[in-house]
Amino acid sequence: MTVSKTATSPGPRTARAGGPPGGGYGRSLLAQDRRFGYALIAPVLIVLLAITAYPLVYNVWNSFHHDNLLIPYLRGFSGLTNYKELFTNDQFLPALVHTVGFTVVSVAIETVIGLSLAVALNKRFRGRGIVRAAIFIPWAVPTVVSAELWRSMFDPQQGFVNYLLSSLHLPLAHTTWLDGTWTAWTAILIADAWRNTPFVAIVLLAGLQAIPSDIYEAARIDGASAWRTFRKITLPLLKPALMVALIFRTLQSFLVFDVVYIMTSGGPGTATNVLAYLDWKAFLVATDFGYGGAVSVALVAFALIIAGIYTRVFRIEQPA
Amino acid sequence: MKLWPGNGRRQALAVASACAVAALGVAACGSSSGGGSGTSAGKQVAASAKQTIVFATQGLGGEGTATKAAVAAFEKIHPNIKVQILSLSPTSDVALEQLQHYFIAGSATPDVITTDVTWPATFARSGWLDNLSSLHPDTTAFFAGQVATGQFNGGTYAMPWFINAEGLYYRTDLVKTPPTSVSQLVSDARTAMARDKSLKEGLAFEGAEYEGAVTAFQSMGAQISLKDLSNIATPANTTALNFMSSAIHSYKIAPSAVTGWEESNVQAAWLSGQTPFALNWPYIYQLSESKTGGKAAYPAVAGKTGWVPFPSATPQSSLGGDDLAINARSTHKAAAWEFIQYLDSASAQDTRAINAGDPPSLKSAYNSALYAAAPYYKQEQAVYNVVVPRPVTPVYPSISSQLQTMISSVLSGQSPAAAALKGAAPTVQQLYQTASTG
Repeated sequence: MTVSKTATSPGPRTARAGGPPGGGYGRSLLAQDRRFGYALIAPVLIVLLAITAYPLVYNVWNSFHHDNLLIPYLRGFSGLTNYKELFTNDQFLPALVHTVGFTVVSVAIETVIGLSLAVALNKRFRGRGIVRAAIFIPWAVPTVVSAELWRSMFDPQQGFVNYLLSSLHLPLAHTTWLDGTWTAWTAILIADAWRNTPFVAIVLLAGLQAIPSDIYEAARIDGASAWRTFRKITLPLLKPALMVALIFRTLQSFLVFDVVYIMTSGGPGTATNVLAYLDWKAFLVATDFGYGGAVSVALVAFALIIAGIYTRVFRIEQPA
Repeated sequence: MKLWPGNGRRQALAVASACAVAALGVAACGSSSGGGSGTSAGKQVAASAKQTIVFATQGLGGEGTATKAAVAAFEKIHPNIKVQILSLSPTSDVALEQLQHYFIAGSATPDVITTDVTWPATFARSGWLDNLSSLHPDTTAFFAGQVATGQFNGGTYAMPWFINAEGLYYRTDLVKTPPTSVSQLVSDARTAMARDKSLKEGLAFEGAEYEGAVTAFQSMGAQISLKDLSNIATPANTTALNFMSSAIHSYKIAPSAVTGWEESNVQAAWLSGQTPFALNWPYIYQLSESKTGGKAAYPAVAGKTGWVPFPSATPQSSLGGDDLAINARSTHKAAAWEFIQYLDSASAQDTRAINAGDPPSLKSAYNSALYAAAPYYKQEQAVYNVVVPRPVTPVYPSISSQLQTMISSVLSGQSPAAAALKGAAPTVQQLYQTASTG
């Protein structure tokens, strides 16, 4: 492969032997280091080019063409037709609204609960190891499995949710959850939060453990209240971990597909149709690579915007 | 028992989620390569020559055993032809992908393929199937509705193998005679529910947003064959869609839970004896009468099961099932045709029906030999006589997707039937037109 070739040919030793003495020596060392560095990242670059850059370029190309496998005679350059389609049909904009709404609500829920879990799990108590392990189990369950599980739990006749509600004499015990716009969204949000909150908790717990305990001791000696300690010490020092969790969860929520696919198929009607589901339909049901490409490009654009906003908000300093 | 495309959603997820979780990845899943040219490649081997043909088919368990037995019997009659079975995924959607990969690659094998009734049009349009018209197949020997699924642009590209159709199950102990009209169905269901408090509902059907909702819609009288697609906002379709919704919301014979039900849920409701009526496929018949350890496996319904076409104004039944076709690039077309003719013979059809429960597509296979072994086939024929295919068109997946969304929005009460049909009609018509211009 290309990797080994680049790694061996301009080897560091040969370059050093030919390098000029004195002042120029450092610069050539630097050049060697740089070449060696590129050689080291080459494998990753190649993989990234193959799985990210190629599909991206291919998709952008697609989005400017008519390309439906089932309508082979209608192939060729289409200009902005596919993009116009996005804004003129009755599916894309509602799906966008659904996706943004889902992202905001699910990330908010998961961050708040995940943070509380992380803080609780960071305390010393008996059986902490077991509780920590238990809380992370949902995250280890594949989404397909958890979504199927929740779908059966929300079944109005045989499901656990309605059984629990009715045995506790609570309202809503006769709800057909996945058949109403708001109840379906509630079910999806619960299923999604159950699966993904542990991820937020893991990341934040790792962040909490990295905060030195002497700062807390100092705060205690100074008589700071628990809330004040949390706001002035924990939160600021947790910022990097929080940002990692937020970026991951926001982008993943924005691309949500499997929960929706399994629990509601975008229904009732199109009430829970989200962008990734729309994209899947365009590609694999309609085999319309042109329109599907346009949806994908839009998804990428939104994802970049989200990432951009986060880097701005958290003001990450780029390491030199 | 092989069901049908709707079942593939979970497995399809493996592929689909890989694509959609990362939006970027989506394009990597598809290749824009078109179909083969359709012109026959390579020299043809005569039927009498010593040769091996490859038969791609689905089916495990009883179906797989039956296929092996049929192959052995065929090889006995034709000692020079060896048939190698290529097992496709039991999940329809995955099997479809597997076949498409062979075709897109331009492979000369498999020579003979099993195809779901909704695929031949797509395959034929892509030039992947051999036109069998020159062999003058006797299409009148089969149920007419299924023959239509193998026709494309006036040619015959696939022959029926076994049939699958959706009909109305009724409990013979609760309903003396099967209803002959929709209003009678409603009153029968209500009477049964009032009399027998152990019944949880009066009618079970597939109402989840998936392919099953479309077949239920069609089985309840919707006219959605190819010729109807230019305008689906018709009185007949409004009536059918209205009934689906009214059954839940105004007649209250179907629970609102049916909006999430697939055929497995309907099956569970029927077999447990909680409903006097259920709309489902023929495999339920076999299950209802099945025995474990000499006793009825499902005592609630054993010996009390009847099956008729849904009693809409003009009763009809949505068609499923499998066809047989020959790869356009096969070099063993003569032997392949011999094999198809064998599988479609009355004796082979009967053997498969008895051993694997696959209802014959050949009308003459419904004979005394079959009834002696499995009496319920006698009643099933009434349903198969009125089968109608779903639209035979390459864009069917998109049309189905439109219909699913429309049905779901009506069943959930988001929009009235007439308005929903009017809303979906232009899109369906546009899809239909795009497909027919090519």
